[in-house]
Amino acid sequence: MGRLKMSSSKRVGGLKGVLHEVLSYKSAVIGVAILLFLIVLSVYTMVTIPLPEAIQAWRSSEAWSRNPRNAQPEWVEIFYGKKLPRTIIVPLKDADATKVLLEDGRLAASWTVYFNYEYDDFPSEIVMFFNSSYSEKPAVEFYWIRPDGEEVFLKKHVLRRPDDRLYLSNDLSLELRLEGLFENKVGGKPSFMVTVEKGLFAEYSLDPRVLKGRYGIRFETTLEKNDVLNAEVVIYGSVYGLAGTDHLRRPLLIGLLWGTPIAMSFGLTSAILTTVLSLIIGTISGWYGGKIDLVIQRIVEINAVLPFLPILIMLTTFYRIDLLIILLSVVVLSIFSLGIKGTRILVMQIKSYPYIEAAQAYGASNMRLILFYVIPKILPPVVPGMISSVPGFVFLEAGLSYLGLGDPFLPTWGKIINDAQTNGAFYKGMYYWVLEPAFMLILTSIAFALIGMALEKIVNPKLKEL
Amino acid sequence: MNSDTRLLELEDLRKWFEIRRGFLSSRVNYVKAVDGVTFSLEEGKAVSLVGESGSGKTTLGKTILRLYEPNGGRILFQGKDITHTKVKDLKWYRRMASLVQQDPFGAFASHFTVFRALEEPLLIHNTVKSREERAERVFKALEEVRLTPVEDFAYKYPHMLSGGQLQRVAIARAIILEPRLIVADEPVSMLDASVRIEILTLLRRLQERLRLGVIYITHDLATTRFFSESALIMYAGHVMEKASTREVLRNPLHPYTKALLIATPDPNPQNRSRFKEVPPGEPPALVDPPKNCRFSPRCPRAFDKCFKEEPPEFEAAPGHWVKCWLYERS
Repeated sequence: MGRLKMSSSKRVGGLKGVLHEVLSYKSAVIGVAILLFLIVLSVYTMVTIPLPEAIQAWRSSEAWSRNPRNAQPEWVEIFYGKKLPRTIIVPLKDADATKVLLEDGRLAASWTVYFNYEYDDFPSEIVMFFNSSYSEKPAVEFYWIRPDGEEVFLKKHVLRRPDDRLYLSNDLSLELRLEGLFENKVGGKPSFMVTVEKGLFAEYSLDPRVLKGRYGIRFETTLEKNDVLNAEVVIYGSVYGLAGTDHLRRPLLIGLLWGTPIAMSFGLTSAILTTVLSLIIGTISGWYGGKIDLVIQRIVEINAVLPFLPILIMLTTFYRIDLLIILLSVVVLSIFSLGIKGTRILVMQIKSYPYIEAAQAYGASNMRLILFYVIPKILPPVVPGMISSVPGFVFLEAGLSYLGLGDPFLPTWGKIINDAQTNGAFYKGMYYWVLEPAFMLILTSIAFALIGMALEKIVNPKLKEL
Repeated sequence: MNSDTRLLELEDLRKWFEIRRGFLSSRVNYVKAVDGVTFSLEEGKAVSLVGESGSGKTTLGKTILRLYEPNGGRILFQGKDITHTKVKDLKWYRRMASLVQQDPFGAFASHFTVFRALEEPLLIHNTVKSREERAERVFKALEEVRLTPVEDFAYKYPHMLSGGQLQRVAIARAIILEPRLIVADEPVSMLDASVRIEILTLLRRLQERLRLGVIYITHDLATTRFFSESALIMYAGHVMEKASTREVLRNPLHPYTKALLIATPDPNPQNRSRFKEVPPGEPPALVDPPKNCRFSPRCPRAFDKCFKEEPPEFEAAPGHWVKCWLYERS
């Protein structure tokens, strides 16, 4: 009697009851927690970074010019045990310049800006961005002031255009001069290669050690009366944000964040659509039999021997497609799955049950019989399968993106891995580039797998013994 | 017989099932499960349909309910011809005629409560609009079949009830639309002996009180006396004998009926060692049967004519029809 009571209260609970029962499994609690986290993350992403903005930013290189290239995430410091450099932007504003009127009516201008450098490693790159307006191209001299007060002449540069950029790191003559200076000071050949960054930031010693302290940059130039010269010296670090950056200086975080709603919606939509449509097709096939059944079964058999991925690759190669079209193609190619055969047999079995005949005797229509008498019977074993099939579709989308066949505009996990692969991420030791999207993929699949497994146990209690 | 009171008339009703051999073969064989049945049932009367397994009695029941479409003959219900009416135009008939099945455990969708199972016919026919009225009808039906207190049963699932209780629910479902005809297809043969008589009594009382026409399909001659006014003995798709139940039991004429009666268990211990003469063999296969008396291979009294020609129905006594050459009036 107690057992009867229990099962009755369970049934009455409905959806709430199911949720309650699912949460009685520890694994499912973890799964639900991860799923909630992913949902919250998706919502947060969609609210804070609207999609058009995200796509725009992801596709432009200009937006990220002040970010370091291929920077690791900031938290890798834990593993290195030292403070890795962040990016420092040193602005030189026209208004801050000391200007002296010369006899010929021009202005002698000079700026000095200071910044602190307290990191344990050298910066990755140094670039000067100019933003000026002039009547005649000004020549600018740069001086480097080390923390000990020593002033080093860097270079004389004639601006080539108002928004000129000077890539100091690529300047070979500067590098050679710095190397000579270094050898003079140390009195020997240092044990490391004196790059521009090291030449500017290293202690004068044989080993590469960062000289911490307050650095300065001085600009000197002669300007016409109405000329304006602004500049930014960007000293790129080697770490960036939570997720690092890629070869185009884009923060991976944006791709990872936007990948979440894309992967979740793709996975869930295709899983639900595929399962529900297959279920309906299988039910129709089993219920009506005859010619309809014949046609559906032949389609299923033909579909079973058609290669899924090559067709998808062909579609994506020939047509300019977006995520929605990929989704629809995947659904169309998946609904006539072999699972239909299973559904059909179940339906044929149910169709012969006396209660169906009884319902026909009191006038239930085919539609009513299918919806209220047959589908509720075959639905329970289908739901866990549906949840468990979500990761498969998430991986499929990632796989297509990885093959370069995904939506060309959206930032997705698969595309990040694709970028990493084409840029030799593992070869160059940039593990984070691959591991971060892989982690997100695994997280998603674990969430759905855990929930799916718990549901499976509820639907099919025999599995509990395993 | 007054034609106004006629509920159901069958004229030479046939239900043959097609079997196709092979995928493209055009050859069609027929299983002649019901092959020329004629009888009529008056309002508020019960008829027993007796026969062994495979005699076509269940097929006949389902054909009467138009779960099958007949291949020949006519079905008249209250004078209306429903032989070939399209399923979608039969909705009124679904209200008038209902079914009680043999297996009470299979008769209900396991995901419906008793309440929902009883509500379904009302929902389908939309006879009762408001939910309160539907609940009233459901509870009333449960009271009719003595499942009280009704609240205890209404919200249970089928697996929580016993076979006898489920069969009561099945009867409640059969009467909830206030039909004129119930086809009870071996309603007690899957139940415990202890509850059979209760269910039959219930059905009989309801039949008398609601003036229902009942077609009681059974293989158990013993229960027919108790249940019905008239009886039909079926064998291999044919009606072999039809008369009032009393007449069939007291004065069986057809050799098959006699054999059936002999086979009925005899409660008298003094007869335990008496030899019972039961015809050998089995009912014939019904795939394209030959045109003769279908009982002839097993009949102890068969003669030449029996193997050659199918007998018509002879009226051996007033109201007592027998399909046997023995009763041909010379």
